[in-house]
Amino acid sequence: MPFGVGHVGSVRETRGAAVEMTQQYLAGELSLLLAQLQAVATDTAGVRDLARLRQEAETMPLLALPSVAVRALELADSVCWDSLTRGDTAAFVRQAAICAELWQFGVCAGLLEEGQPSNEVGAS
Amino acid sequence: METGQEAQVSEAQIAVHWREEEYYYPPAKFIAQANAADPAIFDRFSEEHFPECFKEYADLLTWDAYWHTTLDTSNPPFWKWFVGGRLNASYNCVDRHLATSRNKAAFIWVPEPETEDTESITYQELYKRINEFAALLRGFGDLKVGDRVTFHLPMVPELPVSMLACARLGVIHSEVFGGFSGAACGDRIADSRSHILVTMDGYYRNGELIDHKAKADEAVAAARERGVEVDKVLVWRRHPDQYASESPMVPGRDFFIDELLKDYRGSVVEPVSMPAEAPLFLMYTSGTTARPKGCEHSTGGYLAYVAGTSKYYQDIHPEDTYWCFADIGWITGHSYIVYGPLALGTTSVMYEGVPAYPDPGRPWRIADRLGVNIFHTAPTTIRMLRKLGPDEPKKYNYHFKHMTTVGEPIEPEVWRWYHDVVGKGEAVIVDTWWQTENGGFLGSTLPALQSMKPGSCGPGVLGVYPVIYDEDHSVVEAGSGRAGNICIRNPWPGIFQTVWGQPERFVQIYYEKYCRNKESTDWRDWPYFAGDGAVQAADGYFRILGRVDDVINVAGHRLGTKELESASLTVEEVAEAAAVPVMDELRGRAAEMYVSLKPGFTASRDIEEKVAKAIETQIGKIARPKNVWIVPDMPKTRSGKIMRRVIAGISNFADVGDTTTLANPEVVEDIRHHVQGEKVARGEVPRELSPQEIEEIKVFGRTE
Repeated sequence: MPFGVGHVGSVRETRGAAVEMTQQYLAGELSLLLAQLQAVATDTAGVRDLARLRQEAETMPLLALPSVAVRALELADSVCWDSLTRGDTAAFVRQAAICAELWQFGVCAGLLEEGQPSNEVGAS
Repeated sequence: METGQEAQVSEAQIAVHWREEEYYYPPAKFIAQANAADPAIFDRFSEEHFPECFKEYADLLTWDAYWHTTLDTSNPPFWKWFVGGRLNASYNCVDRHLATSRNKAAFIWVPEPETEDTESITYQELYKRINEFAALLRGFGDLKVGDRVTFHLPMVPELPVSMLACARLGVIHSEVFGGFSGAACGDRIADSRSHILVTMDGYYRNGELIDHKAKADEAVAAARERGVEVDKVLVWRRHPDQYASESPMVPGRDFFIDELLKDYRGSVVEPVSMPAEAPLFLMYTSGTTARPKGCEHSTGGYLAYVAGTSKYYQDIHPEDTYWCFADIGWITGHSYIVYGPLALGTTSVMYEGVPAYPDPGRPWRIADRLGVNIFHTAPTTIRMLRKLGPDEPKKYNYHFKHMTTVGEPIEPEVWRWYHDVVGKGEAVIVDTWWQTENGGFLGSTLPALQSMKPGSCGPGVLGVYPVIYDEDHSVVEAGSGRAGNICIRNPWPGIFQTVWGQPERFVQIYYEKYCRNKESTDWRDWPYFAGDGAVQAADGYFRILGRVDDVINVAGHRLGTKELESASLTVEEVAEAAAVPVMDELRGRAAEMYVSLKPGFTASRDIEEKVAKAIETQIGKIARPKNVWIVPDMPKTRSGKIMRRVIAGISNFADVGDTTTLANPEVVEDIRHHVQGEKVARGEVPRELSPQEIEEIKVFGRTE
């Protein structure tokens, strides 16, 4: 779950993004999830940013999708925090559910790698 | 069944990719019933029989008039297939099956809410709906041959009905994925100059009824901005007599199709006999902020190709129940939900919603209940179902004979879950490589005749002769272990005809790079440039790569960074890995690994050794890293990409370059202190680097 972890993941590079194949559907699914998030975002700036990001998902080269996915999670995180700050738990619950779906999709589509909290630098 | 033999991996092969996997062989039960079980088929489709070999695909269709020229190359690379032939795609997908299969289900549509009944649409019912809607489009819509109609429809039966109604009239359809925004739809309307938009009021996704009609208003406005006026918006309703949208219907522009259809009940529209090379549909691809790219697919060549590949590669028989778990809004859905399976007269399952709604057992419940025996989906869906419900398939009593994976390269471990758990070890897997532009499969295995190899799509399909070229236009030989650009040496019937309205872009993107002679009308001079990187093993199987990776040359052995990193990631504790080169007096260059750990794990010598061992085991002793550094985090760009250039600089005591654009510049100093401190303590400080070596480090990671 990206929310509350403090950072939202990183681009997974081991597969996918640069391959042309028939991957248009990844852009489509990402666009759809951004639309869902846009529908439940409560602040105007968030809605505008999500709309802009959605346009990128629909028009940019597939190579750009990992970057769009990362920024989508960052925006989702900020949309969730905004609702929490305002004490709007109903909005938060809706947003967090889509945030989780977005993250799940990003990881399974190879667009994101699960982030991890800081470790201590160990002996090597 | 798995062979016991060790995978033989040359040093050259490991330089570019993961180790070659073992073969899996199809069960005898599958071979016994397969459409293509006689190896003579390879001879029939060999290059010496090209292009006439594709008559075998064309003969699967019913033609109004036979062609006089199988392949016309007079205007390269605008190839024309089956010239002189005439046919109708709607007739081929529906009418001709009525005599024998009138009451058989063409589609079984599964709504997302489990409380709603599954809808079975027989070939007779499909015929009726197509004819009535075609009559509406011709009468009320005033559409004629060659006009374009844009659809913005979700996964509902009205989508194939609309497609086949257009095909019946010779009208070119252009479906925009239902999840796309109204603006994206508007761009495509404008590009195709459609004056009619067909949409729906709403559809279910994740348990919610989504307002879809609202997007039509955005689409019309976006098209208007680009100078194209939509005259009519035709709206299907998800629930008859109920309107699921809050968007008002615009008088004189918006019309409910169910109301209009009352005037066309029982109408029969004679299918228009179309030239084989007439466009059947447009399929837009994203990938540019400039004008969208509408791939124009033909009637005869495309339909023959998807029918042939559905028969031989999907192994579809008329009595099968086939489920392609994709969206018709993409080329996979057009080719392998609608046109291919219907051309063969089979029963196809369509599902409205998301894979894991209301739980990850849903797909397997559907398969069990409907008796699905051929299953087809994308690696993203497979990974998601594996993650959410790894043991769910075992709970259901379905039995697949055949499974397809499409759209992305699939990792061997995911492939094995698909085979062992989803397929219960009983089904063959057909891994496919192709693109929107191609109409149908380009790389795959003939399931009864060619063994499966996890992670490889297989060789070129029947009648398709791929080749890998390097940047110097030289052929990269199979088994050389080198990667390059995968191209197709010959035309095939499913290839798109052009980019709609942009013929110069079609030539420039797909043919210019490797064209040998622009004046030539010989197809051999016009290889098709697919844009994907690939490597071909000695057995002729292709692995599709995202791009050609950075390599580290260790004592003459070129080690791909991706392979080193992939091997490191097999260590349970490792979360991320990056490989970089370091100068080495003995070997010239050596590899060093940087890894970060999953939460809850602490750095230790033991983990370092595990990483080194994993690389040795999976790639070879030559690849053993000089050092494994466990770090708290990798230096990354804001988009999350690991900056190998920076850590390569640290490992070599060289300039790390500009770090101001990093998302986490503070980690650079931590890593430098840690790594260089250790190296000094061990006496591993390298000599002063030459200017060439400094440049090499500077450009390392350039493919990022």
